[in-house]
Amino acid sequence: MSGLSVGMLLFLVSVGMSLIFGVTRIVNLAHGAFYMVGAYLMVTLVELLPDRPWAFWVALLLAPVGVAVLGGVVEVGLLRLIYRRDPLLQLILTFGLILVIGTLVLLVWGPDNKSVPRPDALAGSVKIFGQPFPSYYLLVLVLAPLVAVALWLLFYRTRWGMLVRAATVDREMLGALGVNVAALYTQVFVFGSWLAGFGGALAAPTVAVALGMDGDVLTTAFVVVVIGGLGSFAGSFIGALLVGLLQSFGILIFPAVSIVLLFALMAVVLIVRPWGLLGRPDA
Amino acid sequence: MRLDRDLAQPSLALPGRREWPSRAFVSTPPVEPRIEPTPGGQAMRRRLPYSSQGLAILTILVVVLWSAAPAAAQGKPIRIGEINSYSGLATVYTFPYKEGLLMAAKEINDGGGVLGRPIEFIFRDDKLKPDEAVKAARELVGQEKVDFLAGCISSGVGLAISAYAKEAKTLYFATHCQTSRLTWDDGHKYVAHTTNNVNQYIRALAKKAATLPYKKWAHISPDYEYGHNVWDEFIAYLKQLKPDVQVMQENWPKLGETDHSPYITALLQSQADAFISAVWGAQEIAFVKQARPFGLFEKVKYVSASVGNPDELDPLGKEAPVGALTPGFAWYDEGMQKRHPKLAEWVKKYETRAKKEPTLGASWGYASAYIIAEAIKRAKSADTEKVIAALGEGYEMEFPWGKVIMRGCDMQAIPPQWTGVVKMNAQGKPVLGDIEEIHGKDVIKSCDEVAKLRAMAAEKKK
Repeated sequence: MSGLSVGMLLFLVSVGMSLIFGVTRIVNLAHGAFYMVGAYLMVTLVELLPDRPWAFWVALLLAPVGVAVLGGVVEVGLLRLIYRRDPLLQLILTFGLILVIGTLVLLVWGPDNKSVPRPDALAGSVKIFGQPFPSYYLLVLVLAPLVAVALWLLFYRTRWGMLVRAATVDREMLGALGVNVAALYTQVFVFGSWLAGFGGALAAPTVAVALGMDGDVLTTAFVVVVIGGLGSFAGSFIGALLVGLLQSFGILIFPAVSIVLLFALMAVVLIVRPWGLLGRPDA
Repeated sequence: MRLDRDLAQPSLALPGRREWPSRAFVSTPPVEPRIEPTPGGQAMRRRLPYSSQGLAILTILVVVLWSAAPAAAQGKPIRIGEINSYSGLATVYTFPYKEGLLMAAKEINDGGGVLGRPIEFIFRDDKLKPDEAVKAARELVGQEKVDFLAGCISSGVGLAISAYAKEAKTLYFATHCQTSRLTWDDGHKYVAHTTNNVNQYIRALAKKAATLPYKKWAHISPDYEYGHNVWDEFIAYLKQLKPDVQVMQENWPKLGETDHSPYITALLQSQADAFISAVWGAQEIAFVKQARPFGLFEKVKYVSASVGNPDELDPLGKEAPVGALTPGFAWYDEGMQKRHPKLAEWVKKYETRAKKEPTLGASWGYASAYIIAEAIKRAKSADTEKVIAALGEGYEMEFPWGKVIMRGCDMQAIPPQWTGVVKMNAQGKPVLGDIEEIHGKDVIKSCDEVAKLRAMAAEKKK
């Protein structure tokens, strides 16, 4: 069960990463750093807002917006300059962003570990099949699928979603048809950053908010995206669930090799379907 | 880039004198100036090779500066290369540590320095990586010509610098990492350890745990050097004190694991009465937060190697594990301040300087600078071999928190040890209470045991 909620949090982060890659073709290595900023903003907002039950929810709403703004600044100020350059340059740029954001977080929030207390109503646990289950995880299990459904509606039932899907298939053609691709890139990047920030803000009460929390999530999200297929929305969902469950059950069944399992799964997927479970092979 | 600056050095040597006048009178090779030469300095450099007039003016300048130097800035500084993790996730420990170290260095230098010379720390960031640390050590010894090396927060880094120090025959003071291997299994004459090692504080914790009515034990420890070290030391000593102790179950999450639910479920089902956690820092905060809703701490007694430190207790706040048994530096405790009358004053001084409450790491930084200075004072020289000889004789020092013994046989520091219980104070802030103090000398492995450990390690290498 806890594996499910971990998988759900992973989904939020990795679908943002996948979306950004699908449209802009940029592997955003700083995606984990956005996740971290989301968690830190959550800390600050919960501290700033009055100590009332609603403060947590307001913070959960605002923190991802802050990250989305950061994403917008990064896209317009930096990434836009190098879309046409060598993909290696883009990797170096987003890798550099990890270091810059890490240092900025240290400067702004200081070296101390932080933590977001869970709202009182969700601090305890409920019994499910006779086993205690933390109620906060239930919230995650409700919110993340809601986001997934909303995403699906957005992608498959709106004009904007159609454009985004079209962009993942053929960007040049979309531009030729008169769509403002540059604006679309910015929107997608902002939206992807929002997802990373939301993942970070939602995860914050279950972990310590500390420097270095970006690294672990980046690797795992990357594995999810590779397994599910770069740029595939449903792939991220399935990949995240697989990885989440594998991480919690793997430990119980094969405790000695649980770390390897994750990468073994990725290797198997890469051998059998190099483009990921639900990805499309390059034409 | 480094190489370029090296080649440029001879011509930079003379302006360098303006910074430390005394250099003009000693024959050591010129040291790379750490401040960019001023425009005036550059003009001089250009003129020098051609003009004897310039040289004369410079000589006069040097003499004037020399005589005008204030009393506190005495002779040539004793330079210590300090390598530690000053970026990233370990800064929560290294920043307070550095404050403590610099606070002590300032006190020492204001009081006339060591042997009439100021001590100076030259800091390098190891990025928590052993190879970065060794690179920094090479640069510090090779180019900066430091007299000694110091530092480390990660045990892996400490062991790597120690191996380099042995090869370079430069004395290294390990100041913040805690693995016992530093001075024991992998000990040698070029490494001294100025802080606690795992053996002492885990044995102190086990000694206290042995007085509790728990026989069935489990543990959760990160699966790497430190985690294994803690669990091995704890259970071995506990069994020695209480032979009927049983191990029910073991958990080895990876270092930095973010989801501990499977281990929490396993601990709940282990039927243990008590468990020890060697998980630390951000990971332990996550563990505690995840274990709380399961009621783990009410069902199984929680003993932790680190949860009493403020870097974990403060962020946990109202979610702190009340009742947990743990080591910790509870300077705010009434009993502590009564036993150590100078502690309150030291805390005030630290807070004025750092604008923050002190941590155990801050006390270690502070003590380390004094322990290094004392070794040089006793050797009556900054010469490596003489300082090693002085350390080999051993000495004791009084600190605001009690006596620290520098043991001669292994150059290992032996400080006081505290265990306490997590409580909520009147303001609803988690603190340590019921502090019990024993001295490390009452639990630490003896010199004979250390000799055996070293012999065994040497045997293994063959």
